[in-house]
Amino acid sequence: MSINSAKGSAASIKWFSASNTLAAWVLALLWISPLLYMLWASLHTGSAAITFDLSEPISLDNFQQAWQMAPFTRYLINTFASVSILLIAQLLVCTLAGYALARVKFTGRNVVFVLILLQLMVMPEILISENYQFIAQLGAVDSYLGIALPYIASAFGIFLLRQTFKQMPQELHDAARIEGLGPLAILVKVYVPLAKPTYLAYALVSVSYHWNNFLWPLVITNTEASRPVTVGLALFGSPETGVDWGVLSAGTLIAIAPLLAIFLIFQRQFMQSFMTAGIK
Amino acid sequence: MLTLRKWLCGTVLSVSACSVNAATELTMYYPVAVGGPLTEVVDGMIEKFEGQHPDISVNAIYAGNYNDARIKALAALKGGEPVQTSVLFSIDMLELKDMGVIRPFDDFVKTPEDKAWLNSFYPALMENGQSEQKTWGVPFQRSTIVMYYNKDAFRAAGLDPEKPPTTWQALRKTAAKLVKKNSAAEVERWGLMIPSTGYPYWMFGALTKQNGERLMSADGTQVNFNSPGTVEALQFWLDLSNKDQVMPKGTIEWGTLRQNFLEQKTAMMWHSTGNLTAVLKNATFDVGVAQLPGNIEQGSPTGGGNFYLFRNGSEQEQQAAFELIKFMTSPEQSAQWSKTTGYVGVSSAAYDTESLIDYTKKVPQALVARDQLEHATAELATYQAGRVRKMLDDAIQSALIGQQPPKAALDSAQAQAERVLRKHRS
Repeated sequence: MSINSAKGSAASIKWFSASNTLAAWVLALLWISPLLYMLWASLHTGSAAITFDLSEPISLDNFQQAWQMAPFTRYLINTFASVSILLIAQLLVCTLAGYALARVKFTGRNVVFVLILLQLMVMPEILISENYQFIAQLGAVDSYLGIALPYIASAFGIFLLRQTFKQMPQELHDAARIEGLGPLAILVKVYVPLAKPTYLAYALVSVSYHWNNFLWPLVITNTEASRPVTVGLALFGSPETGVDWGVLSAGTLIAIAPLLAIFLIFQRQFMQSFMTAGIK
Repeated sequence: MLTLRKWLCGTVLSVSACSVNAATELTMYYPVAVGGPLTEVVDGMIEKFEGQHPDISVNAIYAGNYNDARIKALAALKGGEPVQTSVLFSIDMLELKDMGVIRPFDDFVKTPEDKAWLNSFYPALMENGQSEQKTWGVPFQRSTIVMYYNKDAFRAAGLDPEKPPTTWQALRKTAAKLVKKNSAAEVERWGLMIPSTGYPYWMFGALTKQNGERLMSADGTQVNFNSPGTVEALQFWLDLSNKDQVMPKGTIEWGTLRQNFLEQKTAMMWHSTGNLTAVLKNATFDVGVAQLPGNIEQGSPTGGGNFYLFRNGSEQEQQAAFELIKFMTSPEQSAQWSKTTGYVGVSSAAYDTESLIDYTKKVPQALVARDQLEHATAELATYQAGRVRKMLDDAIQSALIGQQPPKAALDSAQAQAERVLRKHRS
């Protein structure tokens, strides 16, 4: 009886892990199929793109055509620059704000925190007009700064870092103080190194969001000097007449290639940091 | 750069030196609604204008699709950035006028030449641009719906490729003959496809006009979504798939329809004339283009973008913007734009230009949309246009996928639209 049940549980564990693996494969296939389709479409001419005939010849014409339709090098540089500026500023602001909210006692701290959380519930698109007015007053229309500024005080980032800092043992903080460190030195030497996984996870979320952001950059930029790749890509979508899937796919691949490459290279770190940071 | 110059003008240099030397600088936003490197075509037209007007310089800025362009223009106007004119969706007129951001062209039209210019446009294209006896938008990239058909398929089915169907009854019969099935009785090629995503209200505007109905009143405060004639038009659309089985059931994607037609997945399609150049370029078969068939009468709504003049900038800049619009809508430019896109030339004078005469000799299909203009009607444009449009879109789609019968779906759209529009009636 006992042997049987042990066998039974071993079998059920096996069955469980097998079904887990199966589910993982199904999800992975679902996730990657649009990417694979895009690759397929980008390598074939118009009609072959939607027929799935393996004998169709493969060509790079679409990439050539897409590359010529828009100054992609410039657009990619713009995207890279504005996303980097934004990320650095975000990390700086969110670290300081998160630290203050987690460890510095001041009156109205909770009110401030609730106000920041409220920001999470406002869709950024609603604020386009207000943000534009402000950026225009600063004279920062059509610049990297204009693209980045409204997103620097990220409520999500502040919240995430506050939670992380709060979870750190008070003893470490006290020990550092006994060693004679000031509040800023404690932040830099104790908190920031321990929060590395959170930083990585947040950086990924921020970079992928802003890499793909479209409407705000379109509104606030006017020229090739600052327009990011998503705006350049929009030239291929043609709502009134339908879409050339081959060229569109090629253009999209060009746009997301750097992001994909970063993800593949840092895949392991990203996974680990997501698990430890607890964002699922 | 601009701000620097303003600053220099304001503080460092004397006022007179600035006003003498500075060219009038204009900013114009435009949406690109059709694929391809059209930004280059626009840039070329602007360059020509600047050549003729050395004292005016124009920044023409690509601003996404119609929706993005409207958001961008409104944000810029509110933020006090200079933008004197834009090409925006023709059906946004009432909303823009309501917000007080556009000026009527009547403020600028003074000389007899200007009056002749304003009267030169096809009347059907002006319907979405006029309100309260004033003109707020002038046509630039305008379209109608036309029927593209595969002449080779007509021949193979024993039909005369020069006689496309002109009535609903003929359309049903012709489409039925064009359906091709394989040995397993699966449909290989459909007879007809009418797209029902993206802009279903637009296609429906054609069907209702053909059935003798208009979807809204001229002042945009009343809608007519559930009269017997309108319901009958939706029933006809539904019957094409359910009863006649010449069209796939459910909804048909707007974005992939052109590809489906080129792939010969359907022998006929209804689509924007803005597609013409791309279809002719990519088709591997003989393409025919015809006016839409009629039931009580013929008809199609117009569509596309108009030029607007914003209340923004100095009087001198606005005058310059008016000059720019006159240039962009002149016969030569309109002809050029029509050739590269398939959009309708905006005036009969455009079709008298040498370049368009030559072109239409080679490509007679390009004349269909123009000839159809005499049967054309305004595109659905009401106050709170976006919301009202969505109500109708949802009703059409829910009927096409069989969630609700046409009458019930349209009744509820009418009731919803009534609630929104009531406060706009005086």
